[in-house]
Amino acid sequence: MTSILQYPLPLPPILAHPSSTAPLLITQGAEALLYKSTYLLPSLPCALKYRPRKPYRHPTLDTRLTKHRILSEARLLLKCRKEGVPVPSVYAVDEGQGWLMLEWIEGEVVRVRLNEWLRWRREKGTAEGEEEGELRGLMERIGEAVGMMHGVGVVHGDLTTSNLMLKSREHAEVNDHAEGGEENLLAGEVIIIDLGLASVSRFEEDRAVDLYVLERAFGSTHPRAEGLFEVVLEAYGKSFKGAPIVLKRLEDVRMRGRKRSMLG
Amino acid sequence: MIALGLEGSANKIGVGVISHHANGKAASVLSNIRHTYVSPPGEGFLPKDVAKHHRIWVVTLVKEAMAVAGVTIADIGCICYTKGPGMGAPLQSVAVAARMLSLLWDKDLVGVNHCVGHIEMGREITGAHNPVVLYVSGGNTQVIAYAEQRYRIFGEALDIAVGNCLDRFARTLQISNDPAPGYNIEQLAKKGKVLLDLPYAVKGMDCSFAGILTTIDILAAELKANPEQRDPLSGELITTADLCFSLQETVYAMLVEITERAMAHVGSNQVLIVGGVGCNERLQEMMDLMARDRGGSVFATDERYCIDNGIMIAHAGLIAYEAGFKTPLEESTCTQRFRTDEVLVSWRD
Amino acid sequence: MSVLQTISLEHLPADYVVHIAVYREVKNSSSLQEQLLAGNTEFEYALIDASVIISKIQAMSAAYRAVNDLVENRLRSRNVHSEIVFSLSPNNNIAETFRRFGITPTTTNLLVIKVSTPSQPFSADAVQEHLTKSIDGTQAEFNDNVIAGMTDLARIRKIYKLNTVGSKPEKGVANAKAERRELEMLIISSMALRGATN
Repeated sequence: MTSILQYPLPLPPILAHPSSTAPLLITQGAEALLYKSTYLLPSLPCALKYRPRKPYRHPTLDTRLTKHRILSEARLLLKCRKEGVPVPSVYAVDEGQGWLMLEWIEGEVVRVRLNEWLRWRREKGTAEGEEEGELRGLMERIGEAVGMMHGVGVVHGDLTTSNLMLKSREHAEVNDHAEGGEENLLAGEVIIIDLGLASVSRFEEDRAVDLYVLERAFGSTHPRAEGLFEVVLEAYGKSFKGAPIVLKRLEDVRMRGRKRSMLG
Repeated sequence: MIALGLEGSANKIGVGVISHHANGKAASVLSNIRHTYVSPPGEGFLPKDVAKHHRIWVVTLVKEAMAVAGVTIADIGCICYTKGPGMGAPLQSVAVAARMLSLLWDKDLVGVNHCVGHIEMGREITGAHNPVVLYVSGGNTQVIAYAEQRYRIFGEALDIAVGNCLDRFARTLQISNDPAPGYNIEQLAKKGKVLLDLPYAVKGMDCSFAGILTTIDILAAELKANPEQRDPLSGELITTADLCFSLQETVYAMLVEITERAMAHVGSNQVLIVGGVGCNERLQEMMDLMARDRGGSVFATDERYCIDNGIMIAHAGLIAYEAGFKTPLEESTCTQRFRTDEVLVSWRD
Repeated sequence: MSVLQTISLEHLPADYVVHIAVYREVKNSSSLQEQLLAGNTEFEYALIDASVIISKIQAMSAAYRAVNDLVENRLRSRNVHSEIVFSLSPNNNIAETFRRFGITPTTTNLLVIKVSTPSQPFSADAVQEHLTKSIDGTQAEFNDNVIAGMTDLARIRKIYKLNTVGSKPEKGVANAKAERRELEMLIISSMALRGATN
């Protein structure tokens, strides 16, 4: 997914050095730019996350913040990965220059796949509620993945369906359950990406807010799938020891509802 | 139609008279006057003292506002007042005055949300149609965007407002509160150049200022005890101007950051800054740099409108009144907590 | 036949290349180490004990970081070659690094890396010639199969503190190959975060 560049975007200095392929801009957030590039060899793709200088910040503050955020994200990714939480691997870090290189995840974000799947069903004429096995399966996997992350003491800070990916299977591992062959749109390992706002926390409140943001993201982006969010929560509830308490706390967060107006 | 507006949620009491024209032309500000309760240096203001101040000034200001506007009682369509949020006793004083005028003159009352007043006045004065709004004052810090008949809060200060943080630091330094503590911090900051390492607390779309206030207060105390302190990085002597400079650069960067996040989320590149802290030139400059970096622009008002005033209440109240809203006497209460998103913005679609 | 590999790593200036060679059954480790410690300028190489290398990528990763740090003028050790060894380390303890990763008298399998820079260029032939002359051992190809045969997994796990990885099959690491791949990923990440994990 490329983006039309209206205004000249800063390239991290590292991309000025030669490489086999030109960098490809994938997304442009408020904080960082994401490029597809290569690590070490032309055959090894990577995601390059670059935090450009912010002209409004005092240079000392800007450098300090950028370094801190790059390192924090890298640390959390490593911590998660070490404990088996499905996140991209860190390849290289240069906090002084404001970038981080991560394992390239081949696949697509859940937001896109889910919308494709919903549209495909609509075209096929399948009624809501029918043949939902795949969707339920995806929701379960999402719940498990988020639960794993919370279980190791990390909260994401920005859980949306754009920050969850479905990893394409590597061709070597052809599997048995090709359902009808064609539209296995919702298959694939769930990978959690973009830990730019993540932090270390075991507080129920933080975990509950993480879930609430995801719930509201489903509500505003995929209202037709929103009804099955309880499957996410059910799978989450079984994923680690403190999970049921978080679900209880989620009810309070919903009542307070500020975040509802934020995303509604 | 013409409306009279009364505002007194904090230490300023403002009265304004606004005129809305039938043909969709811009509104006319017929009068906009205010009086501020200034506390001595080193002190904040107590609700009961502010309430007393408002009671003393309200009648004079109403008379003057109507004289300047050249309107009579018969011309006034409705009486608008600040329902909240704000300080309890001051809000009450002004509400009592509004109710009195309503009964005396037999006019409808319109209770107005203070924040919505700022937003609507900002939109009117600057012409910004649908910007992301940063509302920053002594009592409030919110990032707001309009959607489906609500001013939705995207991000806010989780503990104290940014203006409160600046005002309290002014007290720590015993700076004059005249015309406003934040203004004097700003002037002092202009002379500062060392950027000290202060806690930067942005959490997602929200931010927090209590931590940075604690730190800066400690630094001020240390500086007082040891005026020969030098900055470890540059070797320069540290001054109170540097403390103010560092505080501003840090808290304003935090505000610009959460504003930018909201803009990215919502897909907007226009920003409107409202509220007393919005008068600050450095904040406006920083916001402008951010907005232009995104190909957008900043809208800001001057001190007539960014500092609490009566005309914004008159304007927001009249818009609501014209859309069919009014506040019956029995419901003309005021409330210290009144979230911006509780108001049904029925006058927009 | 020369099996020395010359690689232009992605995102480095064009005039910086690395030459990498692998040797097994090395008999003169002691004297090689002595030359290195003596600071003999003819012996400026990264001499790495291959038992702590799990894959090509790990070695190249260390080389990349060291050369990048050279280009950005922020070497922490004496020269780019010692920096390559240092870049293998998960922490900032330079002295410990050489004991753990560098050549020692007991090293039998050796990984050699030479960096060619604009100010100090070295051709593949020149490097190969010197290595053939100086190393008493059998040269092997620099590929993952060869390296896998040399890896001391237990030692690597200990150094990088990765003892629990792969021990729980339900955490998604289904077989030896996948486990190795996962270890490699975690090692690269630890190297990237050298000294900054807490």
